[in-house]
Amino acid sequence: MIGFLVNRLLWTAATMWVVFTITFFLMRSVPGGPFDGERKLDPEIKRNIETRYGTNDPLPVQYFRELGKVCRGDLGPSYKLADYTVNEIIAQGFPVSASLGTLALCFAIGLGLPVGILAATRRGKLPDYGSMTIATIGMALPEFFVAPLAIILFVFVWPLFPAAGWGSWQQLILPSVCLGLPYAAYIARLTRTGMLDVLSQDYIRTAHAKGLAPRDVVLRHALKGAMLPVVSFLGPATAGILTGSLIEEAIFAIPGLGIHFVQSAQQRDYTLAMGLVLLYFLLLSLMNLVVDVLYKLLDPRVKLDS
Amino acid sequence: MPAPGRKLLPWLFPVFLLAAAVWALSIGTLPPADLTFCNATEVKSIDPHRINGQPEGRIVGALFEGLLQRHPETLKPIPGVAERWEISTDHKTYTFHLRSNALWSDGTPITAEDFHYSFRRFLLPATGGEYSTLFFVVKNSEKYTKRILAVGDPVEVELRKPADALDSIRGELLLGKLLKIEGEAPQEEEGATSDDQRVFVVEIDGKQRRFTSSKNVGGAELCETVLLDFREVGVKVVGPRAIQITLTNPTPYFLDIISYYPLAPVQRACVEKYGYPNWTKPENIVSNGAYRLQFRHIRDRIRLVKSDTYWNRDVVKLNTVDALAAENLTTMLNLYLTGKADWITDVPPGAKGELRKTRPNEYDPQPQQSIYFYRVNVTRKPLNDVRVRRALSMALDRREIVEAGPRAGEVPALSVVPPGIAGYETGLASPENVAEAQSLLAEAGYPGGRGFPTIEILYNTHEMHRSIAELIQSQWKKRLGINVGLSNQEWGVFNSSTRKLEYDISRTGWIGDYPDPNTFLDLFVSTNENNQTGFSDPKYDAMMEASGREIDPAKRLKLLHDAEAYLMQQLPIIPMFYYVSKDMVRPYVHGIYQNVRDEHPLWAMSIDQEEKARFFKAEGLK
Repeated sequence: MIGFLVNRLLWTAATMWVVFTITFFLMRSVPGGPFDGERKLDPEIKRNIETRYGTNDPLPVQYFRELGKVCRGDLGPSYKLADYTVNEIIAQGFPVSASLGTLALCFAIGLGLPVGILAATRRGKLPDYGSMTIATIGMALPEFFVAPLAIILFVFVWPLFPAAGWGSWQQLILPSVCLGLPYAAYIARLTRTGMLDVLSQDYIRTAHAKGLAPRDVVLRHALKGAMLPVVSFLGPATAGILTGSLIEEAIFAIPGLGIHFVQSAQQRDYTLAMGLVLLYFLLLSLMNLVVDVLYKLLDPRVKLDS
Repeated sequence: MPAPGRKLLPWLFPVFLLAAAVWALSIGTLPPADLTFCNATEVKSIDPHRINGQPEGRIVGALFEGLLQRHPETLKPIPGVAERWEISTDHKTYTFHLRSNALWSDGTPITAEDFHYSFRRFLLPATGGEYSTLFFVVKNSEKYTKRILAVGDPVEVELRKPADALDSIRGELLLGKLLKIEGEAPQEEEGATSDDQRVFVVEIDGKQRRFTSSKNVGGAELCETVLLDFREVGVKVVGPRAIQITLTNPTPYFLDIISYYPLAPVQRACVEKYGYPNWTKPENIVSNGAYRLQFRHIRDRIRLVKSDTYWNRDVVKLNTVDALAAENLTTMLNLYLTGKADWITDVPPGAKGELRKTRPNEYDPQPQQSIYFYRVNVTRKPLNDVRVRRALSMALDRREIVEAGPRAGEVPALSVVPPGIAGYETGLASPENVAEAQSLLAEAGYPGGRGFPTIEILYNTHEMHRSIAELIQSQWKKRLGINVGLSNQEWGVFNSSTRKLEYDISRTGWIGDYPDPNTFLDLFVSTNENNQTGFSDPKYDAMMEASGREIDPAKRLKLLHDAEAYLMQQLPIIPMFYYVSKDMVRPYVHGIYQNVRDEHPLWAMSIDQEEKARFFKAEGLK
C-alpha cells in the first residue's frame, strides 16, 4: 500500500511537469499576449510593462524561471488582476468553488443513489421508467438552461431564494442544486446499471435463499458492488466540480475559480491559467488515487499493485 | 478480511456535507451597504497609475482625488486637492495651489511634493503606466517615459539596487550630462526583447563614466536605467502647496486631463514602505479621496467607506458603498430587480427594448462620447481606392443597423467625433445615397459590383457584432452587388490581427479619454499606435499638427473640424453609430446624472431612504 502511494505520487509529479511544459508553450504559441488590448500600447510603454513581468525574456529563460518558481510553490503575479498573486486568487476562490462543489456532490449522491437503487429494484415498472426518463432529461439539459429556469421559478415567480451571491444558507441552495442535478442524474443511471449487474450474481441469490429480507440484501450485500461504477465516475467528476463551474458561478455571481479558468485563457493571463491548470491536474490525480483506494475498500478482490 | 476503513465509509457522506456547509457559510454575510452597484468586472488594479478602464476608474475615482475633479453633471473641471489655479498667457504653464485642509487618510497633509512624486512615478518606465501617454502633453514627459535621449541631454542614472529591494524603491540616482550613446535602441517589433544594449557615456562630477542596463554588455557599469533628468520635465514644485506644470503646446483640454483619475496622487511613504502590489491591500493603503477601501473580495465585491479625513466630507452622503464584480448581465439585472443592487452599469441586450418601454425613469440611454466604427485596411486592394471606401459608406442604411443590432437607441454616425462637445461642429461623411455609391463603385472599375473581389469583415466573437456584420453584408450585397465574407476571432487573436493589418475591414469601438475632438481625431495621425488602418496622409497629419499649435480655442476647433471633414472624405474608417449610456438606476438614488462620458462620482450620490422604502413596498421587495 505504501509503495503504491509513493509510486503514484512520483508519477503525478512527473506528469505535472509534462503538463506544465505543454501548457507553457501552448499558451505562448497563441497569437496575442497578456498586455495586448483593444488599445494598442505605445511599444516603449508595452516594453516597460513586459520588463516588469519578465515576459519579453527569451522563452527558455522564462521557462526555467517559471518552473523554478512553481516548484517552490510560487505561482507568480496575475497579469490581469494585477493587485494579486495567483496564490492569493486561488486561496480566495478555491474554498468557495470547493464548498459549492461539495454541496452539489452531496446533493447529487443523496438524490442519485436512492433513485438508482429504486429503479433497479423496480426494474421495468413505473418508478424505473419514470426516474430514468427524468434522469436522461436531467443529463441532457444544459446548465445555462436549468439555472435561469430555477431563477425564474424560485426567485421571481415564487420568491424563496436570493437571485445571486454567496455566504448565507439561502444563497447556497439554488446553485448547489443546479450544479448537482446533472451529476445526480448520472449517478442514478450508473447506480441502476451497477445494481442490476450485481443483483443477477450468485451471491445475491444465495443471500435471498438464506432468507434475508430483500431490503437487507440490497443495502448490505448488493450496494457495495453496485457502487463501483459510481465511484470511478465520481473521481474525475469531483476534481471538475471542486475547481468550479463557469456557468453556475457566472449566473449566481459566486466568487469561485470557475470564471478564472475561461478568462485567464482568453486574456492570456499566463500565470493564472498555469496555476489553474496545475491545480486542476493535481486534484484530478489525487481523486483518481482516492478512487483506487476506495475500490480496494469496497471490493476486497481488488489488489493495489505498485 | 475486510479493510479497516470500510465501516467508516457510510459516515463520510454526512461529514462532508456538514463540512462543506460550514465552510461555505463561514464566509458569512455582510450588512448591506448604503449603495450597491454592479461594476461589471473584477478591477485590474486600484493603483491609479496602472489602470485604464472604466470599472477601475469608478473605484479609483472614489479612493483618490487629483488636483482637479469633474463636475458630476457637466464634467467641467472643478477644484479638487487644488483650490485654485493660474494659466500663463501663452497657455503653456499651469500653476495649481493646493488647499491646506487636504489630508491623506492617515491624517498627514497633502503637499506639492506628493504630486511631484506621483507624476514622476506615473511617468517612470518601471511603473509601466498604460495611460502615461495622456500626460505626454507635458513638456519632455514623453522623452522621460520612452527613454528618448540625445547627446548633450542632462540625465539621471539609476544605480543598481539589491535584488530583494521593493519595486517601489529606486536605486541611487546620479545626475550628469550625456556625452555619447553607443549602440542602437531596441527595435519595435512583435516579440522583440527588451534588452536595451545601449551604452551611455555620462559626465558626472567632471568624470566620464560608462553605463548600461544590459547584463549582456561588457565594459560598462551596470545600472538600472538611464533617463532624462526629471528636472527637464515640465513638473515643478514652486512652493509647499504649489505645483507648476509646463506643456509642450498650448493644450486647451489639459484641465480635462489633469482631472482624470490616472493623474491622482499616491502617498510616497505608503508606496515605498510596502511596494506594489502590497500597498494596495486594504490594511496598507493610504488614499485621499472621498472614500477609503474597507476590503476586497476577489470577484465578489469591493467595499468602500466614507473617509473621515476627506476635505469635502460634508458633501459625502453615503457611508458605505459596495461595488459588485458580477459580470453576467442577466445576473446584474436579477440583482437589480430583486433590490440587491441600486445601480447597474450595463443591461442585457435582449432586455433593452423592454426596459426602455417599461422603466423609462430608470433606464434612459443617452448618446455618449464613444463610437462604433469599422476600420478599413487602406493598404489592401480594392480598399485602397477612396471611391470604393466612399461607396461602402454611402451604401449603408445605418438606421436599420442600430435598430437591428444594439437596439438601445444608438444614434447613427457620420462622423468620428460624437456630437456634444461644446463649440465643436463635427465634420460629416456623405450621407446614405445608394445611386451615388453605385456610380462611385462603377467609376472605380466595378460596375454593379462586377470584378469586385470578396472582402471580409473581421469582428471579435460577440452576438451583437455578428448581427451587425451580417446586416452590413446583406446591405452591401443588395445595394452594391459585392460579396462580403464574415470572420470572427476570439478577442486576443482579433486584436493581434487588427494590429498587424491582417484584415480587410475590422470592427472597433472607441471611448474618448477627454471631452475634446482631439481624443478621436488624433487616432488617425500616421504615427498613432491605434491608427491600425494603414492610413498615412501627410495632409491630415499637417492639419492635426496645426491644430495642436493653435492657441485660440475657436480657431483650433475650426481646424479640427476641417481635419475631421477631410478624414470623413478619405474614410480610413466607416463610422456606424455612437454608443449610448448603459446605466440603469433606481429613482431613489440621487446625485447621479446623465453625462456624455458615463462618469458618476460616488461623492455626489445620495439615497432617499423614505423613497426607497416606498419603492420597495410597491415592488414587493425586502
